[in-house]
Amino acid sequence: MKIDDSLGRLEEITKRLEQDDIPLEEALVLFEEGVSLATKVNSALDEARLRVKTVLEQTKGSFAIDDFDLQ
Amino acid sequence: MEPEHVYTISEINSTVRQVIEDGIGSVWLRGEISNLKRAPSGHTYFTLKDKSAEIAAVRFRSASTLLPSQTLESGMEVIAYGRVSLYEPRGQYQFIVSLIQPAGLGALQLSFERLKQRLQQEGLFDEAHKLPIPRYPMQIGVVTSSTGAAFRDIVSVAARRWPLAQIYLFPSAVQGEKAPLEIAEAIACADEFSKMETHLDLLIVGRGGGSLEDLNVFNDERVARAIYACRTPIVSAIGHEIDFTIADFVADRRAPTPSAAAEIVFPDQDDLRRGLRGMISQHVRRVRARIDRSDEKINTTMRSYVLRIPVRKVESLAQRLDLLTQLMLRAMQRALVNRARELKRMRGLIRLSNPDLPLQRGYSITRIAGQERVLRDAADAALGKLIETRLSRGLIVSRIEEVNEDEDR
Repeated sequence: MKIDDSLGRLEEITKRLEQDDIPLEEALVLFEEGVSLATKVNSALDEARLRVKTVLEQTKGSFAIDDFDLQ
Repeated sequence: MEPEHVYTISEINSTVRQVIEDGIGSVWLRGEISNLKRAPSGHTYFTLKDKSAEIAAVRFRSASTLLPSQTLESGMEVIAYGRVSLYEPRGQYQFIVSLIQPAGLGALQLSFERLKQRLQQEGLFDEAHKLPIPRYPMQIGVVTSSTGAAFRDIVSVAARRWPLAQIYLFPSAVQGEKAPLEIAEAIACADEFSKMETHLDLLIVGRGGGSLEDLNVFNDERVARAIYACRTPIVSAIGHEIDFTIADFVADRRAPTPSAAAEIVFPDQDDLRRGLRGMISQHVRRVRARIDRSDEKINTTMRSYVLRIPVRKVESLAQRLDLLTQLMLRAMQRALVNRARELKRMRGLIRLSNPDLPLQRGYSITRIAGQERVLRDAADAALGKLIETRLSRGLIVSRIEEVNEDEDR
């Protein structure tokens, strides 16, 4: 998931909901979409575990990637 | 006595100039500035003096200087590098300054200043060349020592603030003679990795605090050029707060320490969670306001047609939204997922409670003409009375011909 995209879309929804002439039905649809996006970002944060890797270039354009031992 | 050779004035001044320039060459002078004058041409003329002697000095506009001309002033004690020469039209000898700095700076500082100025003139520090730092980076490269405190600091800040991150370490020595080359190569390697293998949103390049010599590794031209050439945005993270290196000037963003770099680079998940909650609360207020406005419209209709019951239903629509919101915010706070389904169900309920919708679907509302109460029971209808039926569009008035109290719908 692209966090940037989700947050960008949430900003758009906020702007649209700020408009007084928005039809009630559209407002409800957007509200639902906003909640769904916010929930997704939130659960992505919950499930995230920092990953750390070491990269060494072996030959030009070819890389050895290893997990970095944090201990 | 016949003169052997008669010089012209020009010849003798030219000869003396040659003798002086060849015999003395470039030197360092230490002295105090006096009689400083800035010519409109951009050249600066002054006298350098000590307790018992003085020499005329000029700093041409084109001269490479450690101090901008504006900061030079009479009374300042300086060390200046330049050549002693002769100004032939006047036959006056003078010191032509190519470098000038406040007295008391060391050789390291001097070479730092020279490199800084050269790279600056070449445009390596230009703001226009600097890349923006993404707000929510996912893949982050780090160029530093794999054993140093800097890397550990960066990782621990990332783990706390932004666990979504994937950190890629491109290990490099950060002290000793080989360090500048290794750092430059690691930066190039990371940039290549970003292009060929996995996109990197940005790079952190740095090391923790150390001696002046240690930090001087980042004052190397190779490091500066590698940073400049890198197409991935770079945040420099070198030493302690007060240390500025050449790398800091070339980097797209400078952080005073590795920890500070991590604070800049990794967004705080708590801020983001709070922001999301705030945003959803704001959405709730807006949708709520929108519902209230439709209440007004419906209320106006209600008053004219004297329909009371649907008003209560609309009130409960707003209540449902509130309840829904509370559930949702609590869910987000407790980090529960999949409340979206509940929302969908709620939305279905909300849709049902809109009083206009049943009418649109073909239902109608009936009352005895002239009464406010809606007809719900056939027993309330008497034969021969006039009734009004409200449809989605329009109103029908009819006379009751038959009443059957028992029949179910």
